[in-house]
Amino acid sequence: MSDTERNWHSHRDAKAARLANAASLLDGKFAKTKDAKAVLETLLSSGDKVVLEGDNQKQASFLSQTLASVDPAKIHDLHMIMSSVSRPEHLDIFEDGIASKLDFSFAGPQSTRISQMIADGTLKIGDIHTYLELYARLYIDLIPNVVLVAADKVDHEGNLYTGANTEETPVIVESAAFHDGIVIVQANEIVDKVPRVDIPGDWVDVVIPADEPYQLEPLFTRDPQNITELQILMGMMAIRGIYERHNVQSVNHGVGFNTAAIELLLPTYGDQLGLKGKIVPNWEVNPTPTLIPAIESGWIKSIHSFGGEVGMEQYIAARPDIFFVGPDGTMRSNRAFGQMAGQYALDMFVGSTLQIDQYGNSSTVTKGRLSGFGGAPNMGSNPTGRRHSTPAWQSLKPKDDPLGRGQKLVVQMVETFGSNKRPVFVDHLDAEEVQKEAKLANVPIMIYSEDTTHIVTEEGIAYLYKTDSMAERQAAIEAIAGVTPVGMRSTEKELADLRRRGIVALPEDLGVRRTDAKRSLLAAQNMEDLVTWSHGLYNPPAKFRSWS
Amino acid sequence: MKQLWVFPGQGGQHGGMLAPVPAVLKEQVAALLDMSFPDTDAVYTDSVQLQVAIALLQVSETQELMAAGFTPELAAGHSLGVFAAAYSLGSLQLDDLFKIVHYRASLMQASYPSGYGMGVIVGLPRTSVAKLVAQVTTTDAPVYTSNQNAPDQVALSGELTAIDAVLQLAKANGAAKALRLRVPVPSHSPLMNGVAQKLTKAMAGVQLTPPQGIYLTNDGGRPTKDPEVIRRDLSDNLAHPVFFDDMLAVAADYYPQVVVSFQPGQPFRKVLANRFSDDVHQIGLASMSIDDATFLLNKWERGSQNE
Repeated sequence: MSDTERNWHSHRDAKAARLANAASLLDGKFAKTKDAKAVLETLLSSGDKVVLEGDNQKQASFLSQTLASVDPAKIHDLHMIMSSVSRPEHLDIFEDGIASKLDFSFAGPQSTRISQMIADGTLKIGDIHTYLELYARLYIDLIPNVVLVAADKVDHEGNLYTGANTEETPVIVESAAFHDGIVIVQANEIVDKVPRVDIPGDWVDVVIPADEPYQLEPLFTRDPQNITELQILMGMMAIRGIYERHNVQSVNHGVGFNTAAIELLLPTYGDQLGLKGKIVPNWEVNPTPTLIPAIESGWIKSIHSFGGEVGMEQYIAARPDIFFVGPDGTMRSNRAFGQMAGQYALDMFVGSTLQIDQYGNSSTVTKGRLSGFGGAPNMGSNPTGRRHSTPAWQSLKPKDDPLGRGQKLVVQMVETFGSNKRPVFVDHLDAEEVQKEAKLANVPIMIYSEDTTHIVTEEGIAYLYKTDSMAERQAAIEAIAGVTPVGMRSTEKELADLRRRGIVALPEDLGVRRTDAKRSLLAAQNMEDLVTWSHGLYNPPAKFRSWS
Repeated sequence: MKQLWVFPGQGGQHGGMLAPVPAVLKEQVAALLDMSFPDTDAVYTDSVQLQVAIALLQVSETQELMAAGFTPELAAGHSLGVFAAAYSLGSLQLDDLFKIVHYRASLMQASYPSGYGMGVIVGLPRTSVAKLVAQVTTTDAPVYTSNQNAPDQVALSGELTAIDAVLQLAKANGAAKALRLRVPVPSHSPLMNGVAQKLTKAMAGVQLTPPQGIYLTNDGGRPTKDPEVIRRDLSDNLAHPVFFDDMLAVAADYYPQVVVSFQPGQPFRKVLANRFSDDVHQIGLASMSIDDATFLLNKWERGSQNE
């Protein structure tokens, strides 16, 4: 075939043909709720690459339920691409043969089932990606044929308002809209005018009003009442031994009680140390309610977020100096940009995990639970091409190498034993076994040892970036691993030597008194306190309203 | 509201437990199997009396909840409880259930008259227990790891001296608890292959219809809607460990809003409390009448609609 005969727009032709087939079901871009199944059966084709919007928080639940109801004889063997596998029907489609292959990042809410289905061969895994790798692949070799996303409001032109939980919608829609994929949107509401345009209407092909609003859970709300004194102690150690010592200016907190403790210690303990205005003014973090006291007392200058958080809408709208807020007055989030910021703009990531091995690798994948990972692998890794001039980055630069580079601070905070009374420090991660069982290309490690610069436990801090060899790194980990089997290998003599050389610090080395770690040190001790701090603008979801 | 129904096996029985069972159902089953139900502690040392009585109690409770308008989206039976689980999903019919339970109990009664049984170890992971079992088991005195009821709770099945030897080793290796169970049969191990084969033959002729909800298999802890997978689980679960922990873990991925524990007893009260979050309502029929249970279920149903 000569060049002149070649069709250079076959994708466009195919898209036009599919949309033409669906013409009887469409009024312009709009389909009826009751026709949703017929629309999908017409616009999808077996074997398609399909992105179904399952974000960390927002779920295109109407479209996922509709997809699970299509006739497998008509639509089968789809290749699903999802950042978060969250709902039962996300996996039902594999049992029914509607889909057969899956590329994903996070599957925490379906981790047992997905692990069984991989073992049984019910679904085939492409890869378990970090978020940025998954988004990036949408533009390279996982370019979708169809994307199924969720919006709050849609106007008659098809312009989308996605509200506070924009999350993945822009990165998903763009990958299809500019490569002749079909963009199908479920809408909570059809309106004459959207509050603001989050996605322009000419990127959207089909809009279906949903039978009920998309699923959204308050995943990142932590009740201060459940913060323990041990977590407060660890928070104090981290503030002194890391935030202050490295002069950290920008940070991401993985969401847990450890980091919630730090957020609530800044306005109290941090203030006593005279650190206000000196550390962490700039944040990439979900808008968790435990940030409110630090914002209100002037610690935090800016926050960009991956997603929203149920109950925080009014508070965020009233603080546009701090949060990213549209001209309409509501928040805008964007997980792809947030992950990018985590990789390239932040001084530090602080998170937690279920297991850390003797070398310092960590994972939340345990036997029988293939959870994948959320933001941690991107946030908790050090892009080696980066060049930063901030004091924190520079403080990790080797002193004896003129060409040496600094490093992003990656901090793991764990108690030596988990809530299940199992040791967090182990010789080998369960993830190693899981790789063999699930026949994965890579061991599902969340954060690699080489990227981990600090580990904080109730025993002390290990400054892993200061170690010169793997043996020394192991000794530093053992020294703070408590009475776990890994920790039992540490000797008094080794500990003394590591402390002398500044590789390990105990609370007393940091000027932290264990007896000072009291709950009264928290700026807010319960949900009611957070509401008070917010001047009544924070509206906790029902399940956190135990006091009322 | 999405409900998970949990049916235990033997263990929580007591004389008088059949008192709430309607006479008409009792008479129907008595006529079907040509037996009577004295319902005393003494009679429950007999496997056939015990197993049929437990099935009778579970079927009766199931019928009453269904009459009140409730059905399960998920059903998990433990060992003997699998039959009521399959019944609650509409897959197994009543007559077939009682005939097969009666036959299963007779086979079990005859299988190991003495010297065999079960034990349980709390506080060691399955992999560690498997290593101890490998040190002890022999052809003459076999012992196997069997049921997994919780992440740190592993049962043993086999010859009694071998079980005792593993229990000793477990204690020496830091188990929090290691003790024999009062079960006179090495259930859920390959020692029951013979019984399982006979049951498989008997089950081959039983009609099973597609279940109305998800059945959780004892073997492997898998969710299924396939009648043939259910048939296999009803036929040969005695020869496989009950992976109850996996059954509950995968059930949790379906996000049930209510868990109902059927009688006898409430052996999984702690396990269920640990597995499901506080948002999940739990009902134990051992500590609540059917009337109270239906009152609560109706109340929660209204609450969920108002949300």
